[in-house]
Amino acid sequence: MPQQFPHLPAAAERCSRPGRPAQGAGLGFRRELIGALQGGVPAAINFFELAPENWAGMGGRSARELRHFTERYPFVCHGLSLSLGGPAPLDERLLRQIRAFMNEHGMTLYTEHLAWSADDGQLYDLLPIPLSEKAVKWTVDRISRAQDILGMRIGIENASYYVAPPGAEMQETEFISAIVRQADCLLHLDVNNIYVNSRNFAFDPLAFLDGLPLERTCYVHVAGHYVEADGLLIDTHGAEVIAPVWSLLDAAYQRIGNVPTCLERDFNIPDLAILNAEVGRIAERQALAAGQQGAVAS
Amino acid sequence: MTPPDFQSFQHAFGRHLRDPQHTPRPPGVPARRMQVYNELLFNNLTGFLDACFPVSRSLLGDARWRRLNRTFYRDWKAQSPWFRDIPGEFVRYLHEGSIRQPLPACLPELAHYEWAELAVDTMDCPIPGHDPAGDLMSQPIVLNPALLNLSYAWPVHRIGPDCRPRRAQPTHLVVYRNAAEQVEFVEINPVTHRLLSLLANAPTSGERACRQIAEELQHPDPKRLQAFGSALLADFQRQGIILGVQP
Repeated sequence: MPQQFPHLPAAAERCSRPGRPAQGAGLGFRRELIGALQGGVPAAINFFELAPENWAGMGGRSARELRHFTERYPFVCHGLSLSLGGPAPLDERLLRQIRAFMNEHGMTLYTEHLAWSADDGQLYDLLPIPLSEKAVKWTVDRISRAQDILGMRIGIENASYYVAPPGAEMQETEFISAIVRQADCLLHLDVNNIYVNSRNFAFDPLAFLDGLPLERTCYVHVAGHYVEADGLLIDTHGAEVIAPVWSLLDAAYQRIGNVPTCLERDFNIPDLAILNAEVGRIAERQALAAGQQGAVAS
Repeated sequence: MTPPDFQSFQHAFGRHLRDPQHTPRPPGVPARRMQVYNELLFNNLTGFLDACFPVSRSLLGDARWRRLNRTFYRDWKAQSPWFRDIPGEFVRYLHEGSIRQPLPACLPELAHYEWAELAVDTMDCPIPGHDPAGDLMSQPIVLNPALLNLSYAWPVHRIGPDCRPRRAQPTHLVVYRNAAEQVEFVEINPVTHRLLSLLANAPTSGERACRQIAEELQHPDPKRLQAFGSALLADFQRQGIILGVQP
Protein backbone atom coordinates (compact mmCIF):
# COMPACT_ATOMS: atom_id res chain seq x y z
CA MET A 1 0.00 0.00 0.00
CA PRO A 2 1.32 3.47 -0.83
CA GLN A 3 1.75 5.69 2.19
CA GLN A 4 -0.87 8.31 2.92
CA PHE A 5 0.87 11.67 3.23
CA PRO A 6 -0.65 14.32 5.51
CA HIS A 7 -2.03 17.34 3.71
CA LEU A 8 -0.04 20.54 4.10
CA PRO A 9 -1.28 23.51 2.10
CA ALA A 10 1.09 25.07 -0.44
CA ALA A 11 2.37 28.58 0.31
CA ALA A 12 -0.08 30.10 -2.17
CA GLU A 13 -3.00 28.37 -0.47
CA ARG A 14 -1.95 29.48 3.00
CA CYS A 15 -4.25 32.43 2.89
CA SER A 16 -4.40 34.75 5.83
CA ARG A 17 -6.57 33.79 8.73
CA PRO A 18 -8.69 36.32 10.64
CA GLY A 19 -6.69 37.97 13.39
CA ARG A 20 -7.10 36.63 16.90
CA PRO A 21 -5.76 39.05 19.51
CA ALA A 22 -4.35 37.68 22.74
CA GLN A 23 -6.07 38.45 26.04
CA GLY A 24 -5.53 37.48 29.65
CA ALA A 25 -2.65 35.21 30.63
CA GLY A 26 -0.53 33.10 28.31
CA LEU A 27 2.48 30.81 28.09
CA GLY A 28 5.58 30.61 25.89
CA PHE A 29 5.01 27.87 23.28
CA ARG A 30 7.82 25.32 23.24
CA ARG A 31 8.36 22.01 21.48
CA GLU A 32 9.00 20.31 24.82
CA LEU A 33 5.43 21.12 25.88
CA ILE A 34 3.58 20.00 22.76
CA GLY A 35 3.02 16.43 23.93
CA ALA A 36 1.46 17.60 27.20
CA LEU A 37 -0.57 20.34 25.50
CA GLN A 38 -2.00 17.83 23.03
CA GLY A 39 -3.52 16.09 26.03
CA GLY A 40 -5.42 19.30 26.79
CA VAL A 41 -4.56 22.97 27.23
CA PRO A 42 -5.08 23.90 30.91
CA ALA A 43 -7.80 26.44 31.62
CA ALA A 44 -5.58 29.31 32.79
CA ILE A 45 -3.78 29.51 29.45
CA ASN A 46 -5.62 31.92 27.15
CA PHE A 47 -2.93 32.35 24.53
CA PHE A 48 0.58 31.32 23.52
CA GLU A 49 3.68 33.20 22.46
CA LEU A 50 6.37 32.02 20.07
CA ALA A 51 9.54 33.26 18.45
CA PRO A 52 9.09 33.40 14.66
CA GLU A 53 12.80 32.57 14.38
CA ASN A 54 12.02 29.11 15.74
CA TRP A 55 8.83 28.35 13.82
CA ALA A 56 8.42 30.32 10.58
CA GLY A 57 9.28 28.69 7.26
CA MET A 58 9.24 25.16 8.65
CA GLY A 59 7.47 22.12 7.31
CA GLY A 60 6.92 18.64 8.62
CA ARG A 61 5.73 17.69 12.06
CA SER A 62 6.60 21.07 13.63
CA ALA A 63 4.46 22.96 11.14
CA ARG A 64 1.50 20.61 11.50
CA GLU A 65 1.61 20.68 15.29
CA LEU A 66 1.88 24.47 15.38
CA ARG A 67 -1.07 24.80 13.00
CA HIS A 68 -3.17 22.60 15.31
CA PHE A 69 -2.70 25.11 18.14
CA THR A 70 -2.86 28.36 16.13
CA GLU A 71 -6.23 27.20 14.78
CA ARG A 72 -7.52 27.03 18.35
CA TYR A 73 -5.64 29.71 20.34
CA PRO A 74 -4.38 33.24 19.84
CA PHE A 75 -0.61 33.45 19.40
CA VAL A 76 1.70 36.42 19.96
CA CYS A 77 4.81 36.76 17.80
CA HIS A 78 7.88 37.70 19.88
CA GLY A 79 11.02 38.17 17.80
CA LEU A 80 14.66 37.52 18.64
CA SER A 81 16.79 38.30 15.58
CA LEU A 82 15.63 41.63 14.16
CA SER A 83 18.50 43.51 15.85
CA LEU A 84 16.53 46.77 16.10
CA GLY A 85 19.55 48.70 17.42
CA GLY A 86 22.15 46.85 15.37
CA PRO A 87 24.72 48.29 12.94
CA ALA A 88 23.94 45.96 9.99
CA PRO A 89 21.18 46.87 7.49
CA LEU A 90 17.67 46.06 8.75
CA ASP A 91 16.69 42.54 7.66
CA GLU A 92 13.65 43.40 5.53
CA ARG A 93 13.42 39.90 4.16
CA LEU A 94 12.98 38.61 7.72
CA LEU A 95 10.23 41.18 8.28
CA ARG A 96 8.36 40.10 5.15
CA GLN A 97 8.65 36.46 6.23
CA ILE A 98 7.30 37.39 9.66
CA ARG A 99 4.40 39.28 8.11
CA ALA A 100 3.42 36.25 6.01
CA PHE A 101 3.82 33.93 8.99
CA MET A 102 1.63 36.14 11.20
CA ASN A 103 -1.07 36.35 8.51
CA GLU A 104 -1.01 32.62 8.03
CA HIS A 105 -1.60 32.01 11.74
CA GLY A 106 -3.89 34.93 12.54
CA MET A 107 -1.36 36.68 14.80
CA THR A 108 -1.97 40.38 15.43
CA LEU A 109 0.88 41.42 17.72
CA TYR A 110 4.62 41.41 17.04
CA THR A 111 7.13 42.53 19.63
CA GLU A 112 10.95 42.68 19.59
CA HIS A 113 13.65 43.47 22.09
CA LEU A 114 15.12 46.93 22.30
CA ALA A 115 18.55 45.43 21.70
CA TRP A 116 20.93 44.39 18.95
CA SER A 117 22.00 40.88 17.96
CA ALA A 118 24.20 41.10 14.86
CA ASP A 119 27.31 42.96 13.71
CA ASP A 120 28.36 41.92 10.21
CA GLY A 121 26.98 38.48 11.03
CA GLN A 122 24.46 37.07 13.47
CA LEU A 123 25.61 36.87 17.09
CA TYR A 124 22.41 35.02 18.07
CA ASP A 125 21.80 36.77 21.38
CA LEU A 126 20.54 40.11 22.70
CA LEU A 127 22.99 42.91 23.48
CA PRO A 128 22.53 46.38 24.99
CA ILE A 129 22.32 49.48 22.78
CA PRO A 130 24.44 52.48 23.85
CA LEU A 131 22.09 55.11 25.29
CA SER A 132 22.91 57.97 22.91
CA GLU A 133 20.91 60.48 20.85
CA LYS A 134 22.28 58.99 17.64
CA ALA A 135 21.26 55.50 18.77
CA VAL A 136 17.73 56.80 19.43
CA LYS A 137 17.47 58.17 15.92
CA TRP A 138 19.07 55.08 14.37
CA THR A 139 16.69 52.73 16.20
CA VAL A 140 13.61 54.90 15.60
CA ASP A 141 14.24 54.84 11.85
CA ARG A 142 14.52 51.05 11.89
CA ILE A 143 11.38 50.57 13.98
CA SER A 144 9.48 52.89 11.64
CA ARG A 145 10.62 50.89 8.63
CA ALA A 146 9.69 47.63 10.40
CA GLN A 147 6.22 49.01 11.14
CA ASP A 148 5.83 50.06 7.50
CA ILE A 149 6.71 46.58 6.27
CA LEU A 150 4.53 44.80 8.83
CA GLY A 151 1.68 47.27 8.38
CA MET A 152 1.18 47.58 12.13
CA ARG A 153 2.64 49.10 15.27
CA ILE A 154 5.13 46.83 16.98
CA GLY A 155 5.94 46.52 20.68
CA ILE A 156 9.51 47.00 21.89
CA GLU A 157 10.63 45.17 25.00
CA ASN A 158 12.85 46.63 27.72
CA ALA A 159 15.68 44.08 27.65
CA SER A 160 17.87 42.60 30.35
CA TYR A 161 21.58 43.36 30.11
CA TYR A 162 24.78 42.81 32.06
CA VAL A 163 26.88 45.64 30.66
CA ALA A 164 25.92 49.31 30.56
CA PRO A 165 27.63 50.57 27.39
CA PRO A 166 29.95 53.46 28.32
CA GLY A 167 29.24 57.02 27.27
CA ALA A 168 25.50 57.03 28.03
CA GLU A 169 23.89 60.40 27.26
CA MET A 170 20.63 59.66 29.05
CA GLN A 171 18.83 57.33 31.45
CA GLU A 172 17.49 54.10 30.00
CA THR A 173 13.89 55.15 30.72
CA GLU A 174 14.51 58.33 28.72
CA PHE A 175 16.00 56.27 25.92
CA ILE A 176 12.99 53.95 25.79
CA SER A 177 10.50 56.83 26.09
CA ALA A 178 12.14 58.80 23.30
CA ILE A 179 12.12 55.79 20.98
CA VAL A 180 8.51 54.83 21.73
CA ARG A 181 7.37 58.44 21.20
CA GLN A 182 9.38 59.13 18.05
CA ALA A 183 8.73 55.76 16.39
CA ASP A 184 5.08 55.85 17.47
CA CYS A 185 5.39 52.24 18.57
CA LEU A 186 4.15 50.30 21.60
CA LEU A 187 5.83 49.20 24.81
CA HIS A 188 6.29 45.54 25.65
CA LEU A 189 6.92 45.64 29.38
CA ASP A 190 9.09 42.90 30.89
CA VAL A 191 8.91 43.14 34.69
CA ASN A 192 11.50 40.42 35.28
CA ASN A 193 13.98 42.32 33.11
CA ILE A 194 13.41 45.46 35.19
CA TYR A 195 13.99 43.46 38.37
CA VAL A 196 17.13 41.70 37.08
CA ASN A 197 18.64 44.97 35.84
CA SER A 198 17.69 46.81 39.05
CA ARG A 199 19.62 44.28 41.09
CA ASN A 200 22.60 44.10 38.74
CA PHE A 201 22.85 47.89 38.42
CA ALA A 202 21.49 48.96 41.81
CA PHE A 203 18.50 51.07 40.86
CA ASP A 204 14.93 51.33 42.15
CA PRO A 205 12.67 49.14 39.97
CA LEU A 206 9.52 51.11 40.83
CA ALA A 207 11.10 54.40 39.85
CA PHE A 208 12.21 52.76 36.61
CA LEU A 209 8.68 51.49 36.00
CA ASP A 210 7.31 54.99 36.52
CA GLY A 211 9.83 56.40 34.06
CA LEU A 212 8.52 54.24 31.21
CA PRO A 213 5.81 55.29 28.72
CA LEU A 214 3.38 52.89 30.41
CA GLU A 215 0.33 54.29 28.61
CA ARG A 216 1.79 52.62 25.51
CA THR A 217 1.96 49.14 27.06
CA CYS A 218 0.58 46.47 24.72
CA TYR A 219 1.97 43.35 26.35
CA VAL A 220 3.73 42.15 29.50
CA HIS A 221 6.32 39.45 30.25
CA VAL A 222 6.98 37.80 33.57
CA ALA A 223 9.67 35.16 34.14
CA GLY A 224 12.13 33.62 36.56
CA HIS A 225 15.87 34.12 36.61
CA TYR A 226 19.07 32.61 38.01
CA VAL A 227 21.33 34.00 40.74
CA GLU A 228 25.06 33.33 40.29
CA ALA A 229 27.36 32.64 43.24
CA ASP A 230 28.51 36.27 43.39
CA GLY A 231 24.93 37.57 43.40
CA LEU A 232 24.71 38.52 39.73
CA LEU A 233 21.24 37.81 38.33
CA ILE A 234 21.02 36.08 34.94
CA ASP A 235 17.80 36.36 32.94
CA THR A 236 17.51 32.65 32.14
CA HIS A 237 13.71 32.11 32.10
CA GLY A 238 14.70 28.86 33.79
CA ALA A 239 13.09 29.12 37.24
CA GLU A 240 9.81 30.05 38.87
CA VAL A 241 8.84 33.70 39.24
CA ILE A 242 9.98 35.12 42.59
CA ALA A 243 7.91 37.26 44.98
CA PRO A 244 9.55 40.65 44.23
CA VAL A 245 8.83 40.14 40.52
CA TRP A 246 5.18 39.30 41.28
CA SER A 247 5.03 42.51 43.32
CA LEU A 248 6.45 44.45 40.42
CA LEU A 249 3.80 42.91 38.16
CA ASP A 250 1.12 44.05 40.65
CA ALA A 251 2.61 47.53 40.62
CA ALA A 252 2.53 47.52 36.83
CA TYR A 253 -1.13 46.41 36.75
CA GLN A 254 -2.02 49.20 39.20
CA ARG A 255 -0.65 51.63 36.65
CA ILE A 256 -1.76 50.08 33.35
CA GLY A 257 -4.71 47.86 34.25
CA ASN A 258 -5.13 44.44 32.76
CA VAL A 259 -2.80 43.89 29.78
CA PRO A 260 -2.14 40.49 28.10
CA THR A 261 0.72 38.86 29.98
CA CYS A 262 2.90 35.89 29.11
CA LEU A 263 4.88 33.60 31.38
CA GLU A 264 8.26 32.87 29.76
CA ARG A 265 9.83 29.54 30.60
CA ASP A 266 12.68 28.40 28.36
CA PHE A 267 14.87 26.14 30.54
CA ASN A 268 14.31 23.55 33.28
CA ILE A 269 10.78 23.28 31.98
CA PRO A 270 8.54 21.72 34.65
CA ASP A 271 5.25 19.83 34.28
CA LEU A 272 2.48 21.64 32.48
CA ALA A 273 0.44 21.60 35.72
CA ILE A 274 3.12 23.68 37.45
CA LEU A 275 3.29 26.14 34.55
CA ASN A 276 -0.50 26.32 34.51
CA ALA A 277 -0.52 27.23 38.20
CA GLU A 278 1.98 30.02 37.52
CA VAL A 279 -0.06 31.29 34.56
CA GLY A 280 -3.05 31.12 36.92
CA ARG A 281 -1.26 33.47 39.32
CA ILE A 282 -0.98 35.98 36.47
CA ALA A 283 -4.71 35.65 35.79
CA GLU A 284 -5.57 36.20 39.47
CA ARG A 285 -3.57 39.41 39.51
CA GLN A 286 -5.19 40.56 36.29
CA ALA A 287 -8.65 39.95 37.77
CA LEU A 288 -7.66 41.86 40.89
CA ALA A 289 -6.32 44.77 38.81
CA ALA A 290 -9.49 44.84 36.71
CA GLY A 291 -11.60 44.86 39.95
CA GLN A 292 -9.60 47.71 41.41
CA GLN A 293 -9.90 49.70 38.22
CA GLY A 294 -13.65 49.08 38.24
CA ALA A 295 -13.81 50.29 41.85
CA VAL A 296 -11.91 53.45 40.95
CA ALA A 297 -14.16 54.07 37.97
CA SER A 298 -17.47 53.62 39.88
CA MET B 1 28.48 58.98 5.56
CA THR B 2 30.50 57.93 8.60
CA PRO B 3 28.68 55.47 10.83
CA PRO B 4 27.32 56.81 14.14
CA ASP B 5 29.93 56.62 16.90
CA PHE B 6 27.84 54.30 19.10
CA GLN B 7 28.43 51.63 16.48
CA SER B 8 32.16 51.56 17.13
CA PHE B 9 31.25 50.21 20.59
CA GLN B 10 29.01 47.59 19.00
CA HIS B 11 31.71 46.47 16.58
CA ALA B 12 34.32 46.28 19.36
CA PHE B 13 31.85 44.32 21.49
CA GLY B 14 31.08 41.92 18.64
CA ARG B 15 34.77 41.37 17.87
CA HIS B 16 35.47 40.52 21.49
CA LEU B 17 32.48 38.16 21.73
CA ARG B 18 33.69 36.29 18.67
CA ASP B 19 37.28 35.98 19.89
CA PRO B 20 37.61 36.86 23.60
CA GLN B 21 41.13 35.44 23.90
CA HIS B 22 42.75 37.50 21.16
CA THR B 23 40.84 40.78 21.10
CA PRO B 24 40.73 43.47 23.79
CA ARG B 25 37.71 43.83 26.04
CA PRO B 26 35.87 47.00 24.94
CA PRO B 27 36.89 49.99 27.10
CA GLY B 28 34.60 50.65 30.04
CA VAL B 29 33.26 47.10 30.19
CA PRO B 30 33.96 45.23 33.46
CA ALA B 31 35.58 41.81 33.04
CA ARG B 32 32.99 39.98 35.16
CA ARG B 33 30.11 41.36 33.09
CA MET B 34 31.86 40.69 29.78
CA GLN B 35 32.40 37.12 30.92
CA VAL B 36 28.62 36.70 31.27
CA TYR B 37 28.12 37.59 27.61
CA ASN B 38 31.10 35.55 26.43
CA GLU B 39 29.63 32.47 28.10
CA LEU B 40 25.99 33.10 27.21
CA LEU B 41 26.60 33.63 23.53
CA PHE B 42 29.10 30.84 22.94
CA ASN B 43 27.06 28.36 25.00
CA ASN B 44 23.98 29.29 23.02
CA LEU B 45 25.81 28.59 19.76
CA THR B 46 27.40 25.32 20.90
CA GLY B 47 24.00 24.15 22.16
CA PHE B 48 22.71 24.17 18.56
CA LEU B 49 25.90 22.58 17.21
CA ASP B 50 26.10 19.83 19.85
CA ALA B 51 22.46 18.90 19.25
CA CYS B 52 22.93 18.49 15.50
CA PHE B 53 26.41 16.95 15.26
CA PRO B 54 26.88 14.26 17.94
CA VAL B 55 28.97 12.02 15.65
CA SER B 56 31.23 14.83 14.41
CA ARG B 57 31.74 15.87 18.00
CA SER B 58 32.67 12.37 19.15
CA LEU B 59 34.97 11.93 16.16
CA LEU B 60 36.97 15.04 17.11
CA GLY B 61 36.73 14.79 20.89
CA ASP B 62 35.46 17.69 22.98
CA ALA B 63 38.59 19.90 22.99
CA ARG B 64 39.07 19.87 19.21
CA TRP B 65 35.31 20.17 18.66
CA ARG B 66 35.11 23.29 20.84
CA ARG B 67 38.13 24.84 19.09
CA LEU B 68 36.36 24.31 15.76
CA ASN B 69 33.11 25.79 17.18
CA ARG B 70 35.11 28.82 18.28
CA THR B 71 36.76 29.49 14.91
CA PHE B 72 33.32 29.08 13.30
CA TYR B 73 31.89 31.79 15.58
CA ARG B 74 34.98 33.96 15.06
CA ASP B 75 35.43 33.65 11.30
CA TRP B 76 32.11 32.74 9.74
CA LYS B 77 29.63 35.60 9.59
CA ALA B 78 26.38 33.64 9.61
CA GLN B 79 23.60 35.68 8.01
CA SER B 80 20.48 33.63 8.67
CA PRO B 81 18.20 34.99 11.43
CA TRP B 82 16.75 31.49 11.97
CA PHE B 83 18.44 29.60 14.81
CA ARG B 84 17.77 26.28 13.10
CA ASP B 85 20.05 27.43 10.26
CA ILE B 86 23.09 27.54 12.56
CA PRO B 87 23.98 23.90 11.78
CA GLY B 88 23.65 24.56 8.03
CA GLU B 89 25.94 27.59 8.37
CA PHE B 90 28.43 25.37 10.20
CA VAL B 91 28.38 22.83 7.37
CA ARG B 92 29.03 25.63 4.86
CA TYR B 93 31.91 26.81 7.04
CA LEU B 94 33.43 23.32 6.97
CA HIS B 95 33.15 23.22 3.16
CA GLU B 96 33.99 26.83 2.28
CA GLY B 97 35.72 28.43 5.24
CA SER B 98 39.49 28.65 5.60
CA ILE B 99 40.24 26.45 8.60
CA ARG B 100 43.76 26.06 9.90
CA GLN B 101 42.96 23.38 12.44
CA PRO B 102 43.86 19.91 11.06
CA LEU B 103 40.64 17.94 10.66
CA PRO B 104 39.74 14.46 9.43
CA ALA B 105 39.17 14.56 5.67
CA CYS B 106 35.73 13.04 6.09
CA LEU B 107 34.49 15.67 8.59
CA PRO B 108 32.79 18.11 6.17
CA GLU B 109 30.80 15.27 4.61
CA LEU B 110 30.03 13.68 7.97
CA ALA B 111 28.69 16.98 9.26
CA HIS B 112 26.63 17.43 6.10
CA TYR B 113 25.15 13.96 6.61
CA GLU B 114 24.26 14.80 10.21
CA TRP B 115 22.72 18.10 9.09
CA ALA B 116 20.64 16.33 6.41
CA GLU B 117 18.41 14.77 9.05
CA LEU B 118 17.54 18.19 10.50
CA ALA B 119 17.12 19.68 7.02
CA VAL B 120 14.71 16.99 5.84
CA ASP B 121 12.81 16.96 9.14
CA THR B 122 11.98 20.68 8.85
CA MET B 123 11.88 21.13 5.05
CA ASP B 124 8.93 23.31 4.13
CA CYS B 125 7.56 21.57 1.06
CA PRO B 126 3.90 20.85 0.53
CA ILE B 127 2.91 17.44 -0.78
CA PRO B 128 2.07 17.92 -4.49
CA GLY B 129 -1.08 16.46 -6.02
CA HIS B 130 -0.49 12.87 -7.07
CA ASP B 131 -2.27 9.66 -7.96
CA PRO B 132 -0.93 6.89 -5.71
CA ALA B 133 -2.63 4.19 -7.83
CA GLY B 134 -1.17 5.23 -11.21
CA ASP B 135 1.30 3.16 -13.23
CA LEU B 136 4.84 4.26 -12.34
CA MET B 137 6.36 2.91 -15.55
CA SER B 138 4.08 4.67 -18.04
CA GLN B 139 3.18 7.95 -16.31
CA PRO B 140 5.28 10.86 -15.00
CA ILE B 141 6.39 10.06 -11.48
CA VAL B 142 5.88 12.42 -8.51
CA LEU B 143 8.77 12.20 -6.03
CA ASN B 144 8.43 12.96 -2.34
CA PRO B 145 9.63 16.58 -2.18
CA ALA B 146 10.92 16.24 1.41
CA LEU B 147 13.95 14.34 0.19
CA LEU B 148 17.68 14.70 -0.32
CA ASN B 149 19.42 12.45 -2.83
CA LEU B 150 22.99 12.58 -1.57
CA SER B 151 26.41 11.46 -2.79
CA TYR B 152 29.45 11.37 -0.56
CA ALA B 153 33.06 10.38 -1.16
CA TRP B 154 33.18 8.89 2.36
CA PRO B 155 31.01 6.19 3.99
CA VAL B 156 29.53 8.84 6.30
CA HIS B 157 26.73 6.62 7.61
CA ARG B 158 29.21 4.14 9.10
CA ILE B 159 31.38 6.65 10.94
CA GLY B 160 31.32 6.51 14.71
CA PRO B 161 33.71 6.55 17.64
CA ASP B 162 34.68 2.95 16.77
CA CYS B 163 34.68 3.36 13.02
CA ARG B 164 36.98 5.91 11.44
CA PRO B 165 37.34 5.25 7.72
CA ARG B 166 40.91 5.38 6.43
CA ARG B 167 39.99 5.77 2.81
CA ALA B 168 37.21 7.21 0.78
CA GLN B 169 34.41 4.96 -0.48
CA PRO B 170 31.72 6.52 -2.68
CA THR B 171 28.42 6.41 -0.84
CA HIS B 172 24.92 7.28 -2.00
CA LEU B 173 22.11 7.92 0.44
CA VAL B 174 18.55 9.04 0.11
CA VAL B 175 17.25 10.90 3.15
CA TYR B 176 13.52 11.60 3.21
CA ARG B 177 10.53 12.32 5.42
CA ASN B 178 7.95 9.55 5.34
CA ALA B 179 4.19 9.80 5.69
CA ALA B 180 4.52 9.45 9.47
CA GLU B 181 6.83 12.52 9.33
CA GLN B 182 9.86 10.53 10.40
CA VAL B 183 13.22 10.93 8.67
CA GLU B 184 14.45 7.77 6.96
CA PHE B 185 17.89 6.97 5.53
CA VAL B 186 18.33 4.46 2.72
CA GLU B 187 21.67 3.50 1.19
CA ILE B 188 21.40 3.17 -2.59
CA ASN B 189 23.77 2.29 -5.43
CA PRO B 190 25.07 4.76 -8.05
CA VAL B 191 22.54 3.67 -10.71
CA THR B 192 19.63 4.17 -8.33
CA HIS B 193 21.10 7.54 -7.37
CA ARG B 194 21.12 8.46 -11.07
CA LEU B 195 17.52 7.23 -11.46
CA LEU B 196 16.32 9.43 -8.58
CA SER B 197 18.22 12.41 -10.06
CA LEU B 198 16.43 11.93 -13.39
CA LEU B 199 13.06 11.75 -11.65
CA ALA B 200 13.85 14.86 -9.61
CA ASN B 201 15.05 16.92 -12.60
CA ALA B 202 11.87 16.64 -14.65
CA PRO B 203 8.62 14.67 -14.49
CA THR B 204 9.52 11.44 -16.19
CA SER B 205 7.92 8.01 -16.42
CA GLY B 206 9.77 5.02 -15.03
CA GLU B 207 10.04 3.56 -18.51
CA ARG B 208 11.71 6.67 -19.96
CA ALA B 209 14.07 7.08 -17.03
CA CYS B 210 15.15 3.43 -17.27
CA ARG B 211 15.65 3.75 -21.02
CA GLN B 212 17.92 6.77 -20.51
CA ILE B 213 19.93 4.91 -17.89
CA ALA B 214 20.26 1.88 -20.19
CA GLU B 215 21.68 4.21 -22.86
CA GLU B 216 24.04 5.92 -20.43
CA LEU B 217 25.32 2.54 -19.18
CA GLN B 218 25.22 0.98 -22.67
CA HIS B 219 23.42 -1.82 -20.90
CA PRO B 220 23.39 -5.10 -22.90
CA ASP B 221 19.85 -6.02 -21.79
CA PRO B 222 17.60 -2.92 -21.49
CA LYS B 223 14.54 -5.12 -20.93
CA ARG B 224 16.05 -6.59 -17.79
CA LEU B 225 16.84 -3.08 -16.61
CA GLN B 226 13.19 -2.11 -17.16
CA ALA B 227 12.02 -5.04 -15.04
CA PHE B 228 14.53 -4.22 -12.36
CA GLY B 229 13.51 -0.55 -12.46
CA SER B 230 9.84 -1.37 -12.19
CA ALA B 231 10.37 -3.42 -9.03
CA LEU B 232 12.63 -0.74 -7.58
CA LEU B 233 10.11 2.07 -8.18
CA ALA B 234 7.31 0.04 -6.62
CA ASP B 235 9.52 -0.52 -3.61
CA PHE B 236 10.31 3.21 -3.42
CA GLN B 237 6.61 3.97 -3.43
CA ARG B 238 6.01 1.58 -0.54
CA GLN B 239 8.75 3.36 1.40
CA GLY B 240 7.38 6.82 0.62
CA ILE B 241 10.29 7.96 -1.55
CA ILE B 242 7.89 8.12 -4.50
CA LEU B 243 4.36 9.46 -3.95
CA GLY B 244 2.76 8.21 -7.18
CA VAL B 245 2.20 9.68 -10.63
CA GLN B 246 0.99 13.04 -11.85
CA PRO B 247 -2.81 13.18 -11.63
